Amino acid sequence: VQPPEKPLQAEEWNRLRESFQSPEVFEEVMFNSMLRCNSPIDVAKSLLTHVAKSNGDIAYNLLVKYLALCVQQGQTSEICDVYDIMKIKFKILEGGAYNLLIRGMSNSDQWRMALTLLEEVKKIMIPSRTNYESCIKAAIRHQEMNLAFELYHEMLAKDVVPTLDVLQAFFDFNRGMKGAELQKELFGILLYLRENQIYPHKTFMRSIKLWFESIPGGNWRGHLTNITDSGQCPVCSHQLEDCDLTEEEYNNLRERIIRDVIHGTDTFRKTSPQEFEAFQTFVENRLPFDIVIDGLNVSHIKPRKMHCENLFDAVNCLAKENARLLVLGRKHMLSNSSNWKREIMKEMQNKAHFFFAENISEDDAFLLYATLRSGKHCKFVTRDFLRDHKACLSDTLTRHLFRKWQRGHQIAKSEKVFLSVSIQQPALPYDCVVQTTGDTWHIPYKDTFEEKYSYQVPRKWLCIQQKL
Amino acid sequence: MQSANLLLKKLLRSSVLPFAAQHGMKKDLFPLSRTLSLSRCLKQDNSCDPSEKLDLDGWKKVMKSGLQEAVSETVSEHKELSTLAAAREILEMWRLAGRLVPENISEEQLKTYIECPSKSAKKKYLKYLYLRELYKRNNKRKTDGKRERKLESQEEASKSDETKRNSLVCLWANSMDRAYSWRLAQSMIFGQPLVFDMSYEREMSAREVANTVRQLVLSEGCNRRSVDPFHIHFCNFKDNSLYHKEFIKHYREAWGRLLITVTDQCYTDVFPKDKLIYLTADSPKVMKTFDHDKVYIVGSMVDKSIKTGCSLARAKRLGLETAALPLEKYLLWHSGAKNLTLDQMMHILLTLKDTGDWKKALEFVPKRKYYGFVNKPVDELKKTLNLINTLKLGKRQEEIRKQFAKNYSKKLTHK
Repeated sequence: VQPPEKPLQAEEWNRLRESFQSPEVFEEVMFNSMLRCNSPIDVAKSLLTHVAKSNGDIAYNLLVKYLALCVQQGQTSEICDVYDIMKIKFKILEGGAYNLLIRGMSNSDQWRMALTLLEEVKKIMIPSRTNYESCIKAAIRHQEMNLAFELYHEMLAKDVVPTLDVLQAFFDFNRGMKGAELQKELFGILLYLRENQIYPHKTFMRSIKLWFESIPGGNWRGHLTNITDSGQCPVCSHQLEDCDLTEEEYNNLRERIIRDVIHGTDTFRKTSPQEFEAFQTFVENRLPFDIVIDGLNVSHIKPRKMHCENLFDAVNCLAKENARLLVLGRKHMLSNSSNWKREIMKEMQNKAHFFFAENISEDDAFLLYATLRSGKHCKFVTRDFLRDHKACLSDTLTRHLFRKWQRGHQIAKSEKVFLSVSIQQPALPYDCVVQTTGDTWHIPYKDTFEEKYSYQVPRKWLCIQQKL
Repeated sequence: MQSANLLLKKLLRSSVLPFAAQHGMKKDLFPLSRTLSLSRCLKQDNSCDPSEKLDLDGWKKVMKSGLQEAVSETVSEHKELSTLAAAREILEMWRLAGRLVPENISEEQLKTYIECPSKSAKKKYLKYLYLRELYKRNNKRKTDGKRERKLESQEEASKSDETKRNSLVCLWANSMDRAYSWRLAQSMIFGQPLVFDMSYEREMSAREVANTVRQLVLSEGCNRRSVDPFHIHFCNFKDNSLYHKEFIKHYREAWGRLLITVTDQCYTDVFPKDKLIYLTADSPKVMKTFDHDKVYIVGSMVDKSIKTGCSLARAKRLGLETAALPLEKYLLWHSGAKNLTLDQMMHILLTLKDTGDWKKALEFVPKRKYYGFVNKPVDELKKTLNLINTLKLGKRQEEIRKQFAKNYSKKLTHK
């Protein structure tokens, strides 16, 4: 339905309503299309008047739709009126109406009203991130920084994830401001990005850069750059943090892999206690390895070639560097078949250590264990993203640790290019997070707003240094 | 304390009313600025006849005039809200806002709703309740209609008044039941055992347990009606478990009279180990024929979030033989998980037991899950499928390349 352009009389509405195929939902449909076409508010008012006069009441959902129209057009006084009516008519409102009211109020000069509404929402549920976003932005816009930060911390305390827009607003509106407290808070936001491995997008990055450069007397200078493969910043020649975990994090991760990934709810689901014990003694007796290879995964790299040939190429290529290799496989690889030739398997076993798991066991879990047990220098080779294993880890902190460790230790393509077409980057020697040394900041950023696979890390960086 | 409360209530009451009154007065005293802007708008629009001037804010007056009584009502109701009552009110508001929320909700359901861990879980639960309510209402309407029609036809029949003569007294249902019971009793002595492993309660949510029991009830029913029923065993069955409670909900008193064996023992204690075969979709072994001397075990588990390897782990721990249905061999699989519901399993096993015909048995796999039965060897079919796919993809790839070339040349010309 096309909404009319001018307010209509009651009879005209009646006529329209009767010509509509299902008159029961006529008002709803009409309001929806008004919202879509952004019709003038007077048209909506005339419809409401018509409904009110014929029914003596207006249903809640129609009021909400009208409210949405008012918010869309920024009609503050109307929003207030609707709120008054709703307030007397209903004891409480639901989330949708509150969302609209908060959004509408926060953009007006009555933005403090939005804060009282937020308090009301808190009584019945946890406010959504957009509720907080509106309130914080309103507070920032009116230079009430303390209030804004208070709300921001409250939001974090409630485990509500802030939108990037809010974080960006903090940087945008504090340009040129002075104050140690303020600086600390904004650095806190950057550290929040670091802890949660969030990468700002390009415009956000620009806001950060401009804010740094505008600090009075700060002498900060920002440059956009690409970090070299070795992890050195070409601008300030600072070496970035490496991917290595601390001793404690490392042990923690290993414990969690054993507990959550290998054992999980039932050890028998992925392996069996006997097999795992056998594997543990096998690894202990031959430590440490330099590279652990997922045999079955590597053997499927080139589909035209025989499976064992692929594996043979990989092992040969990696063995040249005098590395201690461990290849994980399954027992069926030992039975002489068209894909697995016994002679080749024999020859490979001279160059590397082999462990064959049961055919129904999962070898990936063993791969992780063996690599982690060998120490920080040990890498592993597989094209698998290991997402399902990461998903077994129960808390986000350990998942972040796992991601970080995986970035530094997984090889899907060696420098010698034995695996033709690569799927993933080679293991990076540096860690890809927001980082600081006090007088420098390095911030990775995404080029576009969305496009990024979770396994890819940005290659572009913002380097900020302080010249004293 | 109470008197203080009363006093507060009174204060509230007296303070709200003048406020509302004041509000109304304000409206009448000052012609609002908005009407001013309206008149300006009218001036601009000359086509509008002044005689048919619209009172655009009329709805507000209507809404507020009806409030006087409403206010006094709500004030008298005003009490300290418990969490349950508060939740009920929010639900009511959601329903008014047009969300999928049930009209009536019981205390128990409300408690489950409050205990939902997240917003989305709550939403899901409400939608489930809403749909259930809808189905119930529709069903009730249908049965009511049927009953009326039946009554009408009976009246007509009584009018025509015609006595029918029959050699058999109409006792079908009853005698059928007796025949079934007789067969079942026989199977309990001589029949082949079929074990349902009831040890999955910890892996399931309450709703999944309810679904499991429903499926078990269905399978028990179809076993009872079959020509040569299994002797059903529920092993690892704990009294007062969730399973037990759900069964009682379904069967009521009949639960005690069911002709099945229920035990808290493990199947390995009841039967010799070498006779047991655990049926699980994760098994690497594929079932070739139905063996009448073996005892098949089916895990009583519904896993909506597919938990692979759960039942295989059970079998591995006890060192039992496992098997999977040969779905791949006989069906050209389309989509969906390979795990089937318990009643489907029951149908398949019964058919196999009676006829040994895989094709007939696998008719009970839901049709949406497969394209059709395999006539040729699977490899050949797969090859043709692959060929079709590559042809399709190949064509598409070429199209994309062409498109790309087109766009690229456009860009060049623009420059």
